Amino acid sequence: MIRNPFRPITLQQRMTLIAFALLLPAIALRLFTTLYPFLQTISFSVQRYNPAFPPTRFVGFDNFTRLANDPVVQASISFTIVFVGVSTVFQLVFGLMVAHLLNAPFRLRGLARTISLIPWAMPMIVVALGFRWMFDDQFGMIPDLLRRIGIESRWLIDPNNAKLAVVLVNIWKSTPFVALVLLAGLQGISRDLYEAAKVDGAHWWDELRYITLPMLMPIIVTTSMFMLVWQLAVFDLPYAMTGGGPGFSTTVLAQKIYLEMNSLNFGYASAIGMVLVGIVIIVGGIGLFLFKRFEVE
Amino acid sequence: MSTTLTRPQPVAIAESRSQWWTRHGLKLLTYGGFAIFALIIALPFYFIFVSSITPQNELFRIPPQYFPSTPTLDNFTRMSESVPLGLYFRNALIFAVGSSAISVIAAGMAAYALARISFRGSNLVYIGLILSVALPQIAVLVPMFQTFQAFRLVNTHHGLIIMMSSLMLPFTILTLVSFIKQVPGEIEEAATIDGANTVQILARIVIPLIRPALFTMFLINFIISWNELLYPLVFAQRAETKPLSVGLMELTADASTYTRPWDLMSAMSVFMIVPVLLIILFGQRLIISGLARGAVK
Repeated sequence: MIRNPFRPITLQQRMTLIAFALLLPAIALRLFTTLYPFLQTISFSVQRYNPAFPPTRFVGFDNFTRLANDPVVQASISFTIVFVGVSTVFQLVFGLMVAHLLNAPFRLRGLARTISLIPWAMPMIVVALGFRWMFDDQFGMIPDLLRRIGIESRWLIDPNNAKLAVVLVNIWKSTPFVALVLLAGLQGISRDLYEAAKVDGAHWWDELRYITLPMLMPIIVTTSMFMLVWQLAVFDLPYAMTGGGPGFSTTVLAQKIYLEMNSLNFGYASAIGMVLVGIVIIVGGIGLFLFKRFEVE
Repeated sequence: MSTTLTRPQPVAIAESRSQWWTRHGLKLLTYGGFAIFALIIALPFYFIFVSSITPQNELFRIPPQYFPSTPTLDNFTRMSESVPLGLYFRNALIFAVGSSAISVIAAGMAAYALARISFRGSNLVYIGLILSVALPQIAVLVPMFQTFQAFRLVNTHHGLIIMMSSLMLPFTILTLVSFIKQVPGEIEEAATIDGANTVQILARIVIPLIRPALFTMFLINFIISWNELLYPLVFAQRAETKPLSVGLMELTADASTYTRPWDLMSAMSVFMIVPVLLIILFGQRLIISGLARGAVK
């Protein structure tokens, strides 16, 4: 017997069809801007490809051996890791403190929560340029204020202090965001736990150690994973605040890619892009592993 | 003299002191913490704002001035003359409204399919969409730029909107899925039994129910795209499409501090901050809940 090709489809099939119709715009946009260019990046990374100097040809892993010996790439990898690692740790520590402040019952709590949105909502470029001015060696307010209390300081012209300044600004920018996320976690912890602990004579650090931190652990792991992965790709802060300098001391990997791309070294830029993706995969993998562990517990 | 008589006194003092601390110490700590927090957040804005109303000849002075002797709006006038401010403002508005509208619409459709329709591969699609956010936008910029040239999308508003809305999709989907799952599905089931089709259910029941969440994500995505620098920097190379963030970066083009027009830059920074501040003041409660929901769930 021949099956009728026009037989009505089942309800399940119809629902699946509707689901994919609804998903189509989102999936199409994501594929067009991530998977497709990613596959192209892989292929560019093994080519000598500069539109100003044709021909384009396959060179195997030449771009990767070149970047392994490029002192700017080495410096930017180590600064990227320091920048992201140090920022994330302090964002979490300060974020937890601010989250407690935002959760405390006091009259200005609403105002405190509004204030904490401001750094998140500020354009990074405004923040970066504003702090560039404040850290300026001649006209800046920060060196001037420090001088008034007897500390001579040079910021953006000293490689190490420039690194410190960029990290500090990044902590300033994202700590309140982390705090708002952790606040939502704090609000989810039952008051009864703290009441019970108080009856048992627990100090505040006991509460922190045995109630708050364990209860927040899943959120802390997700948040730090998100902050690590997301900040690995930060470009605008060092770009606008220091231009990657002095020298290349504050150049992050993302800016190095931008520099090579602007010089039309498309093959080389793609190879560095692959390194950045590799670092993201390693960090994200560790994060996923930790997340699974804490979710099981 | 027996020790039993003298002992109670110091204990009593210690107890009253600790009682004083439990009554007032926490309050002191909270308000003190709030003051420090507010000061650290506010200081950069104070300096940016004050610079914008300081006359140019007072701005480059050593030591810096903390308040202008003759506040003026002159910087704003000159800034609007040296940059096509109206055009850049219009472009920023088109970019931000377009990107947030497209991302919210596409994410809303996708989130409904993922939260309400059970079909094979639903989980895989969801995880794929969320994980795709980890791919650094700059790592695939080289092929993206070429694709844009091939499709004639460079220097177009819709090209920029495609990139930006796609970037914001994963987080928007994550948040909306968690919101839709909280809304009970019985009304939709009842409507299905009454013979309503998917379009009717979406238009009459689902959209009205999740309107607050859609509006929240629109506000959040508006702020994110208003602030975006990288995509416009690469894909908007002509004045007809450049938004404010790129315009601000253009002002800094001069290499040295002496010639860097901080008077104009601070004025433009204030101009760029004001819309964002208004959105925060107006929608802070929604935005905080929206930001936290994505991370907690």
